[in-house]
Amino acid sequence: MQSADHAAAVEASRRQDEGGERLRARMAAAFFAAVIAALALVPVLTGNTSFAFYLMLWITMASALNIVVGFTGYLPFGYVVFYGVGAYAAGICYKVLGWPIPLALVASGVAGICLALLLAPTLRLKGVYFGIVSLALATIMRLIIANLPSDITGGSMGLILSSSNNPFASYYAMLLVMAATLLSVLWLAQSALGKALKAIRDDDGAAACIGIDVPRTRLVAWLLAALFPALAGGVEAWHTNIIDPEYAFHVLITAKSIVYAMAGGFGTIIGPVVGAAVLLGIDHVIWQKFPLINLLLLGLVIIALMLFLPRGIVGTVLKRRPQLRRFIA
Amino acid sequence: MLKVEGLQKRFGGVAALRGVGFHLPRRAILGVIGMNGSGKTTMLNCINGIYQPDSGSIRLDGKEIGGLPVHTIARRGIGRTFQVPRVFSHLSLLDNLDVAQGQMGLSAAERYEASSYWLNKVQLFGLRHNFAEELSGGQQKLLELARIMVAKPKVILLDEPFAGVNPGLAQLLIAIIAELPREHDCSVVLVSHDLTSIYQLSGHVIVLNEGTLLCEGDANTVRNDPAVIEAYLGA
Repeated sequence: MQSADHAAAVEASRRQDEGGERLRARMAAAFFAAVIAALALVPVLTGNTSFAFYLMLWITMASALNIVVGFTGYLPFGYVVFYGVGAYAAGICYKVLGWPIPLALVASGVAGICLALLLAPTLRLKGVYFGIVSLALATIMRLIIANLPSDITGGSMGLILSSSNNPFASYYAMLLVMAATLLSVLWLAQSALGKALKAIRDDDGAAACIGIDVPRTRLVAWLLAALFPALAGGVEAWHTNIIDPEYAFHVLITAKSIVYAMAGGFGTIIGPVVGAAVLLGIDHVIWQKFPLINLLLLGLVIIALMLFLPRGIVGTVLKRRPQLRRFIA
Repeated sequence: MLKVEGLQKRFGGVAALRGVGFHLPRRAILGVIGMNGSGKTTMLNCINGIYQPDSGSIRLDGKEIGGLPVHTIARRGIGRTFQVPRVFSHLSLLDNLDVAQGQMGLSAAERYEASSYWLNKVQLFGLRHNFAEELSGGQQKLLELARIMVAKPKVILLDEPFAGVNPGLAQLLIAIIAELPREHDCSVVLVSHDLTSIYQLSGHVIVLNEGTLLCEGDANTVRNDPAVIEAYLGA
């Protein structure tokens, strides 16, 4: 009788706890759905889609970076390499090989995955060593692309894809990439894989001691984190019609991805979206009001965020208000 | 169950283990004592694969596991705790236990049942939604023990489980460890400086000194061995 009571109590608490987990996932899904729906309406409601397009791009970059940083603890300073290679893969497939844009975008994703596989051995490194090696690899990749025959990559001048111009279609392509990124993060956070990655992030040695195949699990996160920026790079190349090695591999792209994700909260699901939206919004306002000192002011905002909200906006809220963990992930 | 023979491990010019061996039968507790630097933790690290032994044999149920990757050894049934607890700080207590069952092919309900059983056992069920970093050091040791036990290991290696734990929690740990072999069909290698606990819990004790096996036997034999008294107890 006592064991039946105990089983019933366990079942009741399981249902309650699973209900809590489902609630968190639903809240995050609802938040993402609202963001996607709002951004989908922008081209219909206004002719100016530039801010919204770049908001989607940075949400994608920050959320994909969150997979590798927030879920595994690896900080790749050369993260831009996936974006750059994706942009060039799309550009070369469209301009040189004459592929249609949809196929060229698929190629950008494939290129990102292939590059991630090629760079996978660097995952053996840890901490700052991994970060510096990834930065060096991004620089090497930029030099290789800039020095390839100009009829392939356009050399240091880059490529112009003028005949592909379709801002409306490229806007929705970016929306699709962003939605896929957010869905992946949402899935990852609920999955056994996501928990294993977070365990690795907290202590990879202890994770191995409970049977997690650390290199293999990390590799999955690495591939996911490479796919979305590569696709974003391809779509942005299509949207702007210009690819040049300086911009495509610029360190500022990595820096912005890190800052936006950090501002929202690494390891949280909605944090990078909040961080990208808040900082991009502030950046936009500062740029309009104080064009001459915009970078100085933005830098001060970022310093203030790091000082007062070291876990990011969402991360700090969850730390200070544990009761909200039931609703926010 | 677990048989270790001629285990050797060097770090540069320092021989940390020089031919250590022991046999751990099923459902037994083996106590391991020795001074700091005697090779106790190195031995555990070799058994669970953190270090690759230079030579020697480590057999679990007759199969060689020496030199296998850490995660493979864990999946074969060897669990491990650490001197300083290594919990997953930013995961909830439930997730700490859930992730440890990820390789077992269990349903969510089965995993939850095992997690709640062990969290109740270590008296942490009420804190199950807290992050592990929010626990005290002693509670983290209990969580670490629960985390390895949910995976139903054949052998567990406990490295200084009582260090830095208040007397109340230490008594709880002792009570749980004592019943592991009988109730959970599990053998235990218990490394500790707490001789009272070692003698209380272990049917067999080995004493390491500078990487070699100084003495072995039951608690009485070890306690009264002149070499042990001279080298370790000092009285």
